[in-house]
Amino acid sequence: MRIKIALKVNGQQKSLEVDADRTLLEVLREDFRYHGAREACGAGVCGACTVLLNGKPVSSCLLLAWMADGAEIETIEGLAQGEKLHPIQQAFVEEGAFQCGFCTPGMILAAKSLLDQNPEATEEQIKDYMEGNLCRCGSYPKVIKAVKSVQAKMGGGQGAK
Amino acid sequence: MLDVYLAREVEGLSYQYIGQSQVRSDGIEKVTGRAGYVYNMEIPNMVHAKVVRSLVPHGRVKSIDVSKATKLPGVLLVFTRDDVDAGIYPFFGPVVNDQAVVAIDKVRYVGDIVAAVVAEDPRIAEEAADLVEVEYEELPAVFDAEEAVRPDAPLVHEKLNLPPWGFSDVRATLHPIDGTNIVNHFRVRRGNVEQGFAEADYIFQDTYRLPAVQHCPLEPHATIARYESDGSITVWSNTQTPFLVQAQVAQTLGIPQSRVRITVPFLGGGFGAKTYPKLEPLVAVLALKTGRPVKLSLTREEEFITITRHAATVTIKTGVKRDGTITARQTKILWNTGAYADIGPRLSKNGGYASVGPYRIPNVWVDSYCVYTNMPPAGALRGYGVPQVSLAYETQMDRIARELGFDPVEYRLKLALDEGDSFATGDIIHSAGFRELLRRAAQAIDWKDKSYKQLRGSTVRGKGIACTIKSTITPSTSSAEVKMFEDGSISLLTSTVEMGQGSDTALAQIAAEALSIPVESIRVQHPDTFVTPYDLTTSSSRSIYHMGNAILLAAEDAKRQLRDRAAEIMRVSPESLEVRDGRIVSKTDHRYGIPFGEAVKGVGPSHGSIIGHGLFSTVGGLDPETGQGKASEFWFAACGAAEVEVDTETGKVRVTKYYASSDAGKAINPVACEQQNEGSAINGLGHTLFEQMLFDNGQPINNTFLDYKIPSFLDLPHDLVTEVVETPHRNGPFGAKGMGETAISPVAPAIANAIADAVGVWVTELPVTPERVLQALQEQNLKHDGAGEGNQ
Repeated sequence: MRIKIALKVNGQQKSLEVDADRTLLEVLREDFRYHGAREACGAGVCGACTVLLNGKPVSSCLLLAWMADGAEIETIEGLAQGEKLHPIQQAFVEEGAFQCGFCTPGMILAAKSLLDQNPEATEEQIKDYMEGNLCRCGSYPKVIKAVKSVQAKMGGGQGAK
Repeated sequence: MLDVYLAREVEGLSYQYIGQSQVRSDGIEKVTGRAGYVYNMEIPNMVHAKVVRSLVPHGRVKSIDVSKATKLPGVLLVFTRDDVDAGIYPFFGPVVNDQAVVAIDKVRYVGDIVAAVVAEDPRIAEEAADLVEVEYEELPAVFDAEEAVRPDAPLVHEKLNLPPWGFSDVRATLHPIDGTNIVNHFRVRRGNVEQGFAEADYIFQDTYRLPAVQHCPLEPHATIARYESDGSITVWSNTQTPFLVQAQVAQTLGIPQSRVRITVPFLGGGFGAKTYPKLEPLVAVLALKTGRPVKLSLTREEEFITITRHAATVTIKTGVKRDGTITARQTKILWNTGAYADIGPRLSKNGGYASVGPYRIPNVWVDSYCVYTNMPPAGALRGYGVPQVSLAYETQMDRIARELGFDPVEYRLKLALDEGDSFATGDIIHSAGFRELLRRAAQAIDWKDKSYKQLRGSTVRGKGIACTIKSTITPSTSSAEVKMFEDGSISLLTSTVEMGQGSDTALAQIAAEALSIPVESIRVQHPDTFVTPYDLTTSSSRSIYHMGNAILLAAEDAKRQLRDRAAEIMRVSPESLEVRDGRIVSKTDHRYGIPFGEAVKGVGPSHGSIIGHGLFSTVGGLDPETGQGKASEFWFAACGAAEVEVDTETGKVRVTKYYASSDAGKAINPVACEQQNEGSAINGLGHTLFEQMLFDNGQPINNTFLDYKIPSFLDLPHDLVTEVVETPHRNGPFGAKGMGETAISPVAPAIANAIADAVGVWVTELPVTPERVLQALQEQNLKHDGAGEGNQ
């Protein structure tokens, strides 16, 4: 069964017909060629497929594409303005908050959503919010550092640890 | 020549790029999601493969019915052993060619590949794979290494298929036992252990068991192969060993290596999982048979059962005198290498001698057995055998210290190997700062402050320390090229794989320092066996040392050519010139010189480019009977310290503070070294506290991220502190060795020792689950009269 959906992806209006059983992740990757979101577990646990749906992080590997009808989706590809990185991306680069980079887009989007909702998040709140973004390389300490540095630049946060 | 680089620091000159935290060159690609991974790659006209896997742990393949699968629209091919014709050599493996592209006679573990479907669409391929019907004649299976070495155990492999080629360090000491499941029996025989034990006042003997765990790189294995119009084959694969894979694919297809191109972009994590051939031989065959580019990418469930870390049983017997001197140590290790040996034979060698630990022990006896079972194959995982054996020797060290009345840190300081001491293999230790590491670790957790022992309550605190020693593959070879263009820009050509460890940046720093040009002006070429020169592997934490040295040699070659050409242009002698800040200048007057680009062009019509080549090779090896000789070009020394809280009512262990330190020789890129220390420590925490692969009669039961947890943000200790110690290595580039794995091994024993300090219970099995701690506490309480919270 095919369903017509209309959604905004990175600010662009998209209309398409999708099979009922296709996931949002599949549509983003295969139809729109956005490869920043990746399937690393297929179970909605690891966060590598994280995209923002109406500002909130979702596991796009579990969301059926038709459920995103009418939604605004942000992927990593929409974050930078041309060559100008988003402050969170810039902080990740400067702090070395990545190693292999496979989890990084999901990590950054989750961090963006956190700071959009709670710019004063404490370290405990950062850890709690980002529990669903797994990183086997172990970049967690530097991700926290990067988030804090963005907070400091924004004038908020809890200060340096 | 290499002395020049070390001398600069001695003279008080500082480096321009070495030792400075450098922003990683791959940062922008990775934070924008643009970084290339094979997982993300699409090739025009590409088709998709899906494999059919055995549902039985051991069985003869009686028949395979592909008729239903082949009929499905969109299916190009269903490949089975019936399609293996004279042009295909189906067997592969880095030591023993015991694995086949598809099962030829038997399947040997649940998940073993029996057939491969190729279809236009991954969904069609998956549907067709489900339609393949396989009939097995089930055979008795064996899952445990201890069971598999019994005389009546079923044989996983009836005979060994050893290829004519092989790694010299492995083949020289390879000792399989015919008619058994033992594919390697590695031995160390040093001194006289019988006499040593006779001289001892006390003998300690313990047995430790560790389960299989998995690497869990977030990017699963993925390979694409495409036959080219000239008969060569291009393979894009997320491999850590491009040249080994090249050799294997050439062997599989029966074509020259010069026609096999292995190209490697970024890896989404490796940790050893992506060493040696995995999917490549099969995918190459599928590309040959279909005439289309074929992609095979694994699901997480498949990833778990493709390669694991060796489950191991480690028995360690140590003789000590009243004054603490160790007179003898005997170890026996059974490594469960699963259905296929992979690199198990080398790991059981390196892990075998590593089991002696970083201490002065004159009499040593090691029996290290690499054993086949009907489990998923086990291979290299960060630490390479040391995590298993160090749990054994470091917790026993604490037990010995406490029973003899010594402070565990003071005891280790007394016995730790020092510069010039000889290790169990006879290697003379150089650049392994155990004492420095121990002192700093003790300080990091305020070892001398025992005030926490006064606290009362159901939650008890403890402190523990562990130190470990690890080797690097020896002998081995790395080569590098520095290619300069007419405009003075530079490409660095190496086959080192960037898998997250920051090699692109660190190797560029080494090249920049040697060539006296900014790091940013060097473009690092990713491995491509048609373009980049030979490297053994990106593993064993070997790239900074080996590839770094190769780069220094390549830079010297390039500089010599630059000086020669500049001399011609400037009409002076080459000896009067030196390379400085992107120019070739007169030694006596730096203002008089020309930029690199001009020298590249040379006199007359442009010479186009300069290519500097460097080859760095090490020697070594061990005697097959005694395990004596030179095991390693250099040694990794690490220390870990843990503060834990044990909840005696639930058995839950919380690591409140963890300190990880590694002796890297020289931190080329300090921030990247922190990443490795932190990453190793966090990885180790998972292995210690909750990771284990679970099986039911060979059936994997927790091979998903829902059931197998890897550490998340919430598993971080409240305090995670890391440090790099620098004990310069006389032959390392700028004194550097490496440290990708160093900090992982002390984690389990440091935590185990902290638990013992807290509640007097000794961990002998991983992971340290609450159930195990509770059970141990209950057993301890039964030994004492009356109920108690457990004391030490």
